[in-house]
Parts: sequence; structure tokens; C-alpha cells
Amino acid sequence: MSSIFKRGPARPQANITPMIDVTFLLIVFFVLVSQIVDLENVDMELPAPDQAATRLPGDEPRAVVNVVPGVDGRISGYRLGSRRFDPSPAGLGQLRDALVDLYQATPVMRVNLRADRGTDYRWVAPVLQVVRQAAGLADVGLDGARLNLVVIREDA
Amino acid sequence: MNTMQQHSELEVPPVRRRVRGTTSIGLNLTSMIDVVFLLLVYFLVATDFTQSEEVYRLDLPERIDGLSIDPFELDDEPVRIIVQGIGGPDGDYRLQVEGAGAANLSNFESLYDFLAARRLDGLGGGFFATDHPLLVVPSPQTPWSYAVGAFNAAVRAGYVNISFEESTS
Repeated sequence: MSSIFKRGPARPQANITPMIDVTFLLIVFFVLVSQIVDLENVDMELPAPDQAATRLPGDEPRAVVNVVPGVDGRISGYRLGSRRFDPSPAGLGQLRDALVDLYQATPVMRVNLRADRGTDYRWVAPVLQVVRQAAGLADVGLDGARLNLVVIREDA
Repeated sequence: MNTMQQHSELEVPPVRRRVRGTTSIGLNLTSMIDVVFLLLVYFLVATDFTQSEEVYRLDLPERIDGLSIDPFELDDEPVRIIVQGIGGPDGDYRLQVEGAGAANLSNFESLYDFLAARRLDGLGGGFFATDHPLLVVPSPQTPWSYAVGAFNAAVRAGYVNISFEESTS
């Protein structure tokens, strides 16, 4: 009699340890990603132009400036990361100082500008000015400030 | 009786071992997997996935009093695209182009056609190089979506030196 039959019938078992590992990793991933997204992006309705000639954001270091929408085209403030700034000359000055600090730490940084589609341009234009001033004060070079205007690509 | 039989009868009987064998210690993982999957489903549902966000690149070079930083460079008069929104983001808008043969345009598609026709090597035999400066000038009350719409038409038309008027006063 062969040695196979001496051991008795085989008992099939599934090793579920790797599955549990992967599942926990997925949970950790979603928890972290959801927190990062909440920190950077304010909930708003971004512009969605027809036949958008946009490109995917690159891998460059970036800072995200949100123009937080209010009512009737007005805004309730500006946000850089988790910091909030008033829509006033003083608040814009603080935003500029914060951007100068970031530019000095990372001169090749790009600034992602997110604004609601219904926000009046008079609230967006100061951000362009402030970013340009910050890049000049931080002396990032002749290329100046580099912005990304964030939109939604609906046909993507 | 031979010698072997005598020897086996004199042997001490073996100690009886436990019939049941060793107790197997196991961990019931079923309930943990249930909880883990519930957590996974919860976060999948609760996570607010970002839509497909894409970007326009907009470089803001340093300028001195609105002029080029290169003192030997002749300044090109920018083509001004004036955008005026009426009635909020779902309302209407007006487009006007100054500096490339004044024109009032009805929508962003006609703005694209107008700019593409005036581009050097474009289909219309135009005279503006792709790096000719274009300036989008939205009125202060213009919704951001219309300003971006005009910017998009200029990008689609093949121009690379496009900026926004930053002063709204």
C-alpha cells in the first residue's frame, strides 16, 4: 500500500490571511484618501466647458487654493489647504504670505485654482494677483507663477 | 515455546495513550471578516470620489508695469476677449474681441472659429503666431464658467500665451 493512503483523505482549506491583509490595506487607503481629498478640495461645482482642451494634472508639487462659494456669485472666503482666509484685503494679504512661504520651500510649485462656476470673476481675479505677487516676493524666477485652472471634464 | 514467545510474554505492557488526541486550537475568523467587509463597504459608500478634474495651465510671468520683462522685446498688442455674463451661470453672455478686427460673437464656438481663422498657419490664413498674447477680460460680475469658456476657446484655437485681466476695477 502506498504512503498516500496511509495519511487519510486530503482536507482542502483556504488560506484567508492574505485576503484579510489586502482588505485592511484597502480600508486604510480609503480612510487616508478621503481625508486628503476633504482637506484639499472644497465641495463646489467646477466649470465644465464644452470640448475642454484640458490636460491631466502633472506630478509636480502643488498647492490648492479654493475660492469658497457663497450665495449669488459671492464667496465666503479663500482656502489654502486647511487654512481659511477672509475675502478682504487683509485676508488676501495673509493668503499671499502663506503662498510666499510655500514658494520659498518649493519654488517649482504649481498653484491649483478651484472656483465655483457661478462665482463672479471679481472674486477670482484677486487670487491671480496674489499668486503672481507671492511668486515675485519669493523670487521663483522669470517664469513667474504657474497656475492650474481646475475644471471638470465631463466627456472624459 | 520458542525463545521469542517467552520474551514477548515477559514484556511490560505499553502505557495506554489518550484516544482523543491533542485538542486543536482554532480562531474563528468569520465574524472578523464580516466586520471588515462592513467597514470596507461603509468607506466605499461614504467616500466622495472626485470627478475627473483636469486643468488648464496658466503661467503668470513677472511683468513690470504691464510690459514684458525683456527690454529688447517688442510688445505685441494683445488681442482682448471681453466677456460679459448676464444673469448668473445659467444665464447668457456676450463676447467681444478687440485687436484682431473688432467682432461681436454669439457663443464660444464662434469665438473658437474666429481665433482659429486668425492664427498663423491656421485654416483661414491668419497672421497671429500661436504665442501672440491673448487677454481674457471678464467683467466683474461675469460668472467664472464664462471666463473659463472663453479661455478654453482660445486654448482650443491653438494659442499658448493666454492670460486673464487681473484688474476688475
